Amino acid sequence: MIDPTLLLRIFVAFVRVGAIAFGGAYAAIPLVEQEVVANEGFMTYPEFMDLLALDEITPGPILINSATFVGMKTAGLPGAFAATLGCILVPCVVAISLLFVFRKYKETTLVKSVVLTLKCMALALIASTMVTLGMNAVVPGGTPADVAHAVYAVTVMFVAFALMHWRKVSPLPVMLGCGVLNVLVSLVVG
Amino acid sequence: MAQKERRKDGLLARMVALFVATFTISATANSGYAIIAVMRDDFVNKRKWFTEDEMNDYIAIVQSCPGPMAVTSSMVVGYQSAGFLGSFAAVLGVITPPFVVMVLVTVFYEAIVSNPYVGVFMRGMQMGVVAMLLDICIGLFRNATQKSVAYPLAIMVIAFLYVRLTGCSIMWLALGCGVVGAVRALLIKREVEAR
Repeated sequence: MIDPTLLLRIFVAFVRVGAIAFGGAYAAIPLVEQEVVANEGFMTYPEFMDLLALDEITPGPILINSATFVGMKTAGLPGAFAATLGCILVPCVVAISLLFVFRKYKETTLVKSVVLTLKCMALALIASTMVTLGMNAVVPGGTPADVAHAVYAVTVMFVAFALMHWRKVSPLPVMLGCGVLNVLVSLVVG
Repeated sequence: MAQKERRKDGLLARMVALFVATFTISATANSGYAIIAVMRDDFVNKRKWFTEDEMNDYIAIVQSCPGPMAVTSSMVVGYQSAGFLGSFAAVLGVITPPFVVMVLVTVFYEAIVSNPYVGVFMRGMQMGVVAMLLDICIGLFRNATQKSVAYPLAIMVIAFLYVRLTGCSIMWLALGCGVVGAVRALLIKREVEAR
């Protein structure tokens, strides 16, 4: 039997993470670390590093992955449910509230101007993630330049972009193709 | 009566479509941006439930929310397609795959991490993600600069520098952008009235 107060602690910890997790997956990781390792002690630091590796290789949003993993490790399936529900609660309420405001006032100058500004911010955030991931793909782990690898990575990215942007290929097959290609190349190169 | 039933069927069909779409997207893509790109492809290009411009508005809303973008965008797109039930179906679809996978992964942890090809495959997919982000940026840029270029460009540059250089919370950036947007609206109004 799992202690209900433990489930409540897990739930509340992830409500807190969800409520302040602005700026995408990579911004959420330090927040999870703070709640789970430092504040609540649900996990040790090495366990948390395991979690980061798993986030990279599993599908779905990183915050959901983290919540399920932490909940599961701490209190089994009920813990996984508590953590997952906790981390989506505030985001869902905020999203639907903003959508209502937008639907009601979208023809006013005020909302048009605010949405335009937020759109520009969205672009900046996406561009920033793109730079981080792109640098990581071209120069993995910040290791000294391996020119052949860098040329390979840039070529793959450009071809993938060309397929999506000019040929209007769906993003999903392109991304899966990139994954398969990388496995093949690593087999050939060794 | 018959009409009401048809509408009900329509709702159920839309809920199923939403669930299947977000489930598939979430099972195959591992970042919020990938999910937005695939949603755009699915709901704008294929199903034609929204226009490109509407989708760009939703991206702006979602970017101003905390939490996983995949969940908040499912919430918004779901509501716009089929009300609260649509939101529910879409969010359920998006959280089910990571939930199930993570529960299994916790159980089979060692075997998965020791397989080298898993990591190589994920790194390859990341290159595709970079290309896709560029595609989204171009779409947003065209959409945001339809009327004027100077103001949107200035905000983009300032926001980009804020994210790259300060390391402060995006929450303050979102609030700041809201205030700047509101002040700009007041200035536009005053200008119109002055004429």
